[in-house]
Amino acid sequence: MKAVGARLPRYDGIEHVTGRTTYVDDVRVPGTLWTKALRSPLHSATFSGLDTSKAEAMPGVRAVISAADVPLLEYGHLSALGIPADEPLLAKDEVRYKGQPIALVAAEDEETAMAAVEAIGVDFEEREPLLDIRRAWDEDAPKIHQWGNWYPHFEGEMDCRQIRKGSIDEAFEQADTIVQGVYRPAAIEHVPLETQVALVVPEANGRLTIYSCTQALYFSMGVVAAHLQLPLNKLKVVGGTVGGGFGGKVDTATETMCSLLAQKSGRPVKWRWTREEEFLCSSTRAPWHMEVADAVTSDGWILGRKMLTLHDSGAYARFSPYGLTKHSFHHTGAYTIPNLHFDGYVVFTNRVPTTAMRGFGVTSVSFATETHLSRIADVLGLDPYEVRLKNANRIGDTSPNRIVYTDPSTVPVVKALADGMDVTLAPEYAAMGPGQREGDLLPEHLVSQLADPEAH
Amino acid sequence: MNLTVNGVSRAVQSAPLTSLLDVLREELGVTSPKAGCEQGGCGACTVLVGGEPQRACLTPVGAIDGAEVTTVEGLGPPEELSPVQQAFTHHYAAQCGFCTAGMLLAAEAYIERGGTDDREAIQEALSGHVCRCTGYVKIIDAVAAAARGDSFDLTTTAPGAGMTNLGGVS
Repeated sequence: MKAVGARLPRYDGIEHVTGRTTYVDDVRVPGTLWTKALRSPLHSATFSGLDTSKAEAMPGVRAVISAADVPLLEYGHLSALGIPADEPLLAKDEVRYKGQPIALVAAEDEETAMAAVEAIGVDFEEREPLLDIRRAWDEDAPKIHQWGNWYPHFEGEMDCRQIRKGSIDEAFEQADTIVQGVYRPAAIEHVPLETQVALVVPEANGRLTIYSCTQALYFSMGVVAAHLQLPLNKLKVVGGTVGGGFGGKVDTATETMCSLLAQKSGRPVKWRWTREEEFLCSSTRAPWHMEVADAVTSDGWILGRKMLTLHDSGAYARFSPYGLTKHSFHHTGAYTIPNLHFDGYVVFTNRVPTTAMRGFGVTSVSFATETHLSRIADVLGLDPYEVRLKNANRIGDTSPNRIVYTDPSTVPVVKALADGMDVTLAPEYAAMGPGQREGDLLPEHLVSQLADPEAH
Repeated sequence: MNLTVNGVSRAVQSAPLTSLLDVLREELGVTSPKAGCEQGGCGACTVLVGGEPQRACLTPVGAIDGAEVTTVEGLGPPEELSPVQQAFTHHYAAQCGFCTAGMLLAAEAYIERGGTDDREAIQEALSGHVCRCTGYVKIIDAVAAAARGDSFDLTTTAPGAGMTNLGGVS
């Protein structure tokens, strides 16, 4: 254990304090073109008459691309995991969110690129957008996605992620009280100080050098290779220096389109989003809608949980099915509830596609669970710390997806919180540790779970 | 036009309304000031103009013709770090590093005008700077240490020391 407790140098520490760290936007290649995008001004619309001829004829414009230029238009970030593709690299015939890219221009300077984007002709026919996930099931709700208004491709072609554990009916029959709550955390923009940026330099032999701010270099490599239908040995991806990501640089936002422009123009091409684009067009953390009903005893044991989650995926699926799956596995938070009935849907809306952000899929349900446990304590007139300690994950308990906990930290964390808030716990709670349940803390409803996790 | 950038006189060809940020980055190749928001909100482009912190993205170069401009490249090379650079290194005050240049220059100016290790005063001096990695505690620790004149043994945190020199921990 030479490293634990030692002061280790950051490999990039001196570079950071001397201004020598080379971020993507700091790479200097002579002759680099600027890029600007024509983006959808509407949440939802069909379009026709896309005409880039005036833009292409402008002095200083070196390449213009639209959907017709992309060898494989639709490719999903999780295609390799069997999740089908639904999102075109550039919009074709319709737009599904405000800010969706339709065409891109590479030009000698920023002003020329902006003027060329203005010169692109397109006729929109606006459609009614769907912006509230709670409306997705309404008969008169706009149908906004080729798969329907929610994702239908979970294993076995199920249209939701389900968890069933124990007997939810028994739990609700035995309950003294049912405590319900609805929790709706909003979307959050990642706001990295470095906006989305890529620089692609074409080589004479057809190879492309891609400087990327990605957090997920091999994702980007695979996504670019698929859209461009190139073997991986034609791509040299340079990454690892990220000016803040927080999950927002997992999606491949700029590299693919820069690569197409570099191929078409034969010139190095850089695309750096403005702060406005970053706020309006980049992915966000998803907004969620969570309905929780817990079957509880009057002394604070949670016997069962029924939960419905709607995850706002925005206009396309991207990583949301994965995020919702993580959410379902963690939907009891840091607590053990033996009887579960969980349904979770990935719902499409005409918002920017949502994506990973610190604790992807889990922070939403942690927020819901913690708020709900305090609500339970309030309804029952019990101490909120003691309700938490009672139901805390203990060694030998199982998670919603039946993972046996070997080192759960709920008890020490809750005790530290009580300590930090100058709360004095009753002696039986103060004496608790994370070890296997026994005695009063092994109530009847948890006996069978502890004996045989597989029984559930 | 002409600017003295980190002690070196540089001729400037850009139009007078070009931002100082674009002049530094695109014309002169000085890349430590960052284009974080380009509207004065984040502080990542901050440089010293005549010793005072200034938003390079909001400064038309024509308005400061002839001025002395200092960027982080002018503070100290890796082998001769300034006290503020040393403090940032020692206290791990840079995470992704994108805000660091602006933070360093604001801190440099704060200490130059006699700033102390008072944490509230440091917060005020750095209040125009966003660290989205939210490393503010370590940044304030570092500025306070530099303001106090703490000395640092960076041999345990210098590149190359690596796993073979763990500061006496074995």
